[in-house]
Amino acid sequence: MSVRESELSARERIVLNVFAAADEALTTDEIARRTGLKEDAVSQAAFMLAEKGIVAVKERESRFYRLTEEGREYAERGLPERRAIEVLMREGTCSFEHLRDHMGSEREALIAVNWLLKRGWARTKKECGKSVFVFAGVSEDSMSEVETEERILRLLLERGGFVEEEALPCRKELLKTLKARKLVEEKVRKERFFSLAPGFKPEFKDEKAAIGFGLDVVMEHEVAQMTPEMIRTGSWKEVKFKEYDVSIPSEKIYPAKIHPYQRLVDEMRRIFAEMGFKEIKGAIIQHSFWNFDALFVPQDHPAREMQDTFYLGVRKPLDAPAELVRRVKEVHEHGGSLRSSGWGGRWREEIAEELLLRTHTTAVTLRYLASHKEPPVRVFCIGRVYRRETVDPTHLPEFDQLEGIVMDENVSFRHLLGILQTFYRKMGFPQVRFRPGYFPYTEPSVEVEVMTEKHGWIELGGAGIFREEVTHPLGISHRVLAWGLGIGRLAMLKLKLHDIRQLYQPDIDWLRHAPSSPITGD
Amino acid sequence: MPTIRLFHEDIERLTGVDIDTVREKLPFLGADLERDGEDFTDVEFFPNRPDLFSVEGVARALRAFLNIQPGISSYETSPSGIEMNVDDAVIDVRPYVVCGVVRDLEFDERAIESLMNLQEHIHRGIGRNRRKVSIGVHDLSKVKPDFRYTAVDPDFSFVPLDFKEKMTMKDILERHPKGIEYGFILKDADRYPLIVDYDGNVLSFPPIINAELTRVTEETRDLFIEVTGTDENVFVALNIVVCALAERGGRVQTVKVRSPQDGAVIETPDLNPSTHELRLSEVRALTGLDIDAETSVKCCARMGLHADVVRGDGSEGDDVLIVKVPAYRCDILHPWDIIEDIAIGYGYDRIVPTLPKTDVVGEEHAEERRNRRIREMMIGLGFMEVQTFTLSSERKQFTLMRRRSCEVVRVAHPISEEYEMLRCAIMPNLIDVLSMNKHREMPQRIFEIGTVFRGEERTNLAAVSMHAHANFAEIRSVVDAILREFGIADITVIKPSDDDAFIKGRRAIIMLNDREIGVFGEIHPEVIRNFSLDHPIIGVEMDVDAINARPPSQRRRCLC
Repeated sequence: MSVRESELSARERIVLNVFAAADEALTTDEIARRTGLKEDAVSQAAFMLAEKGIVAVKERESRFYRLTEEGREYAERGLPERRAIEVLMREGTCSFEHLRDHMGSEREALIAVNWLLKRGWARTKKECGKSVFVFAGVSEDSMSEVETEERILRLLLERGGFVEEEALPCRKELLKTLKARKLVEEKVRKERFFSLAPGFKPEFKDEKAAIGFGLDVVMEHEVAQMTPEMIRTGSWKEVKFKEYDVSIPSEKIYPAKIHPYQRLVDEMRRIFAEMGFKEIKGAIIQHSFWNFDALFVPQDHPAREMQDTFYLGVRKPLDAPAELVRRVKEVHEHGGSLRSSGWGGRWREEIAEELLLRTHTTAVTLRYLASHKEPPVRVFCIGRVYRRETVDPTHLPEFDQLEGIVMDENVSFRHLLGILQTFYRKMGFPQVRFRPGYFPYTEPSVEVEVMTEKHGWIELGGAGIFREEVTHPLGISHRVLAWGLGIGRLAMLKLKLHDIRQLYQPDIDWLRHAPSSPITGD
Repeated sequence: MPTIRLFHEDIERLTGVDIDTVREKLPFLGADLERDGEDFTDVEFFPNRPDLFSVEGVARALRAFLNIQPGISSYETSPSGIEMNVDDAVIDVRPYVVCGVVRDLEFDERAIESLMNLQEHIHRGIGRNRRKVSIGVHDLSKVKPDFRYTAVDPDFSFVPLDFKEKMTMKDILERHPKGIEYGFILKDADRYPLIVDYDGNVLSFPPIINAELTRVTEETRDLFIEVTGTDENVFVALNIVVCALAERGGRVQTVKVRSPQDGAVIETPDLNPSTHELRLSEVRALTGLDIDAETSVKCCARMGLHADVVRGDGSEGDDVLIVKVPAYRCDILHPWDIIEDIAIGYGYDRIVPTLPKTDVVGEEHAEERRNRRIREMMIGLGFMEVQTFTLSSERKQFTLMRRRSCEVVRVAHPISEEYEMLRCAIMPNLIDVLSMNKHREMPQRIFEIGTVFRGEERTNLAAVSMHAHANFAEIRSVVDAILREFGIADITVIKPSDDDAFIKGRRAIIMLNDREIGVFGEIHPEVIRNFSLDHPIIGVEMDVDAINARPPSQRRRCLC
């Protein structure tokens, strides 16, 4: 192995001189001290030398751990699953609510349950239609694992700050689990040691051997940063610009971006506008009347129960013409003047007066129809809707819906399918299929599915033609095609998310890294 | 939606086709395939079709759909000679009762389970959790007709299902699992419904629980079925159950139900189909299909309906379809419901989608166009967009922010304290996002444009920046840039604010036409600690509706 002196930069020569005089491996920090160069300059030179085969690099990693906020809590109180298993061992069986009361928070109870099931300490059972948890035995191994985990957490609490891995009483997997659970954070310190490569023989000018290799360090004047001065005076002609290794990445920067979900929503907005639809908006707080009754949803329909819908617990007089209210009442009770049986029973205005957070944007499109009775009407609405759901990876209490209607002479079910197919094709799903569906306010009803590579057919929306029981009371005499598409599921597919919460509880790193204009994207 | 378990052996025997065909065709009949087991498939049906909530019902529909046995399935009935006498006392509590008898059944464990599941699905769906309809099935050999439907004192006692000792009805509501679950239905009643036989032995305590005496076992051959409730849905519920049992080979018999007032008698179940009329032209107009009368008749047959054609005098569109709908269907309220069946019978997969003609011009909402411009501006200023929930909590909106609580919109039954009200500001959510991301690289600059609720629904813009050198000068620069971009820099005035979310002397309000339209400054260190953060934060929040004011007609007034 040999290298010519002229192939080395000034800095490389300086660094190489140091190696010649040293008998042990050196860190960049140490080389910087001995040469007076900056550490990053040393590091760059040392790596260049390593690439040329002149020096050898050895790396050593040490890992350090410290508690996160959540980890600190458990260090003080014990892991949720251990606290939960105590309750379960004592009681044999218990419901989620009971567990939650013991744990003090829904979140911790969820974590506990997750681990109980994962560890096989509990299983679920249906009891009177409700799931309960049943104690399923605890093996000594698994208990000792949890105890070790807790010991680690306590030790980290006592020490405070980062503690090196060697000082912790455990196997690597447990630390990995704790890290994955975000109870501890890890810091990895990499140290590099440089020395002359074994077998490297200097073939430089031999007379300079007295000072190490004694390489000539001032060959030419090399310049790193160009200055305005150099450009003005022309002194740049006298200098040599240091040549950089352009393959080395620089510091990471991130552009500010529109939220990926917003981009998707804007795309849908553009598609419907292109298809000749006008966008409308409306209030989030609505009367039950506009959200349900005017849509022919029976007053005792399960979706109207307070377990499923957010009511405000306030009643306000209806903001609808008395004539409309009367017709809605008739159509619910006996079908009014239509060839319909209605739902039977008595329709009560008090129920329609309840205020709620809209469960779909149909409330908005209906109000629009009530004031635009002449064809053609082609409108769409994208907006926040609310359902009383507990937050989990596939459910949210609020999400966005895209809804649209077409009211015109001679429009039919086939046209409805045509509009939906066109929309989903434009969204990048060439294969669209239709299956029978059911909604209390449309007939015929249809569910739209698209073909995905990963999950096969996936249902993305519902649609239908408004029943006469809906349109007639509003004074509409033409057919109204209507659809409501949940955007969340579509967004999960397009953005490749597994957890829908990420849309509204954003991880800044995800936003920074999600490409905003992927070339291969659709 | 109700999930029905189809054991492959059952469905293959009842339809005569293999499970792969069943799985391929069912989705086009409206089923959602949920789960595959080794010897079963779970499917979901829509709540409007309780007649499909049993393997027997599914098989019947499939046989028609696959043209194995198209048209209406009819079931013979004969009189059982049994009577059900209704007492006046029960009319105020739970007025409706209908009954039927099914004989010569052969039960195994799976058939019993299927029957129980069918019952439960009906209870939950059209039964509205047993409020409107509840069904009791009994081993007829254990009791002696005739029967009586009455209402008795809550202290009356009998042995309920799954118990060994007598309990009073009051006790049952307090201690029996079913009593605890459904007792709410009787909370206003001072006498409870009861069905007894000739000797006074109890069959059931509707809508809560049957008696242990009439438990259905694998030895049971003859069933007595009673359906009680508060409206006419009891009829179709009874029809669905007896027809499913008839599919299993049972012989259906009727029962005379005698009303208390006038002694009027009705004989149930009545399995005669109902008749509906519709014009072929309607079918064509609604579906958009160029379909003739013969095809419509075939489509009806594939859906288990029977149709006859009455020719009109003119064009084919004048033809009228007379459609018979079987007694177990409860979803046909209107002729269009039949047209949907025709479309399903035709096959949704065979309908060719087409676009309607239009001469309408589309447009995005002006507010959205404005919001998009604002987003572009914020991105240019280096802020990353986030979106958060509009549901929030008193604690996050006010307490953690050191702000006084004000009039807010609350939901009546929140899922948790975290989502108990609608937000009146966005900035707390943004700081919350920072706290979820506290280990991410600094600086962090984020913004959101979204709805807030302050008397009316309004659009706010909020932005925050967090890093070691965040200070008032930075946020002042941002605010100035925003005002310049809005074109209102010359007509706005910046004045000191007294908002305690910020540090005194480093907080300001933005005034436009003597109206406060926004606030900004350095976030108070206590607020930063409240959100478990440890870097300086600066922020601004402003009402963008107040800047380019919407005409009052477009305001979305809050109803409360």
